[in-house]
Amino acid sequence: MKINVIGAGLGGLLSAASLAIEGHEIEVFERLPITGGRFTNIEYHGFSLSTGALHMIPHGSTGPLGNLLKKIGADVEIVPCEPMAMIRIPANGSNNYKSGFKDISFNQFGSQFSMWNRLKLAILLVTTRRWPPKNISFENWIRKYLNEDSAHKTANSFCGWALSLTNRDVPAEEAFEIFENLYRYGGTGIPMGGCKGVTDALVEIIRSNGGKIHTNTEVSRIIVENNTARGVIADGNKHYSDVVISNIGHPFTRDLYDSYTINNAYEEKIDNVKSSAGIKTCLAADEPLIGHNGILLTPYCRRVNGINEVTNTDPNLAPPGKHLVMAHQSVRQEKIDKLEEEIEIGLQDLKEVFPNKKYEVILTQSYYDGWPVNRASSGSDIGNTTPINSLYVVGDGAKGKGGIEVEGVALGVMNTLDIIKQQHR
Amino acid sequence: MRVNEKCVGCGQCTAFCKQDAIVVKGNAYITDKCTNCGICAFYCPLKAIEAEK
Repeated sequence: MKINVIGAGLGGLLSAASLAIEGHEIEVFERLPITGGRFTNIEYHGFSLSTGALHMIPHGSTGPLGNLLKKIGADVEIVPCEPMAMIRIPANGSNNYKSGFKDISFNQFGSQFSMWNRLKLAILLVTTRRWPPKNISFENWIRKYLNEDSAHKTANSFCGWALSLTNRDVPAEEAFEIFENLYRYGGTGIPMGGCKGVTDALVEIIRSNGGKIHTNTEVSRIIVENNTARGVIADGNKHYSDVVISNIGHPFTRDLYDSYTINNAYEEKIDNVKSSAGIKTCLAADEPLIGHNGILLTPYCRRVNGINEVTNTDPNLAPPGKHLVMAHQSVRQEKIDKLEEEIEIGLQDLKEVFPNKKYEVILTQSYYDGWPVNRASSGSDIGNTTPINSLYVVGDGAKGKGGIEVEGVALGVMNTLDIIKQQHR
Repeated sequence: MRVNEKCVGCGQCTAFCKQDAIVVKGNAYITDKCTNCGICAFYCPLKAIEAEK
């Protein structure tokens, strides 16, 4: 089969590489001069920052992405985070880090609760894994069953780090699917070479299997005949194919074709897709600020949700002797027009998290709307098919259920590959 | 070069600017160092940088 892929982000490259090794004829069209989308590196003042993601793979080498990479023979080493995550809690029951703090392991979460709530948490963890709650936000679920301030704050920092959402915006069902996946797949890992280590390996697979990747090449239309995708128009040239896979999310994909029959249900779903927004602050330090390769969750910050220090695993992501530290904070939709203020509050947070430490702010990066953290925030994904036959959407605008960030991208890609196999024998 | 309203502040432009002429904080700001070489516009994922009219 001939398959055209729109966009060389992680979802597009994963699909293209998987199909290329099966012997299909692949062409990938990327508007930018670089491949990798929001999952590659940008070099800045000697540091390998990223175009988006935080040089981490949520479920490491044994999760959906890790397994898919292994299956298609991608040359990527994913180093487990040990510990997976620590939670920084204030000393003396304070509400902030100003008068000191200690770090507890993520697995000890709950140890700061009252005896009664600790017991309840243990029971809830077992029962909700079996009977996931429906139609309630994670925030309201916690309020209902475990009204403990530290539980609210930790849930918020976890949702902010992993999904760039507050627990108010995460359906409890989705949150428990994610916890279930943490048990099922295991914890976080760091790809050697950062995000680019992964996407470059995929580019290599596509090219070595005869696939073509056109950078600086924008797709202006999807050719649709008889409600079926027949190819794309890129830089004025028609490229016909049996299947078109779009990596640019449902709304932008929808803008690329004319449809004579409007599918109202799909249009309505597209309108309801919510993207998630976030700010990433990149710091440079001479001495480690965190000292381990896992996530430091910071539930008692006003804005910052969590921080990592990937140079503890791959020192080459920074100049010799330096460390790269990345902090993430989710941004609520109503704060988007006050981004500079949000960044300032985040920088103040970091001063409290790292008192008496020397570091420099290299760059602050913000993401929303057309270049967001996730094109479809977790729980608002609408699947991989479209009303147009042979046209599929992959990427962070079409993730699988319970898949955190790139894990969801991998789940969505695997689902799409299954559908293509069934539909196009 | 001129930054339009599509900018989200992702910072991709500044990494590719050879003149170190772009400051990013919630939005990209072009400084006096800009030589109008236009490289930044190629790397912007949102078509948010245009040549000055």
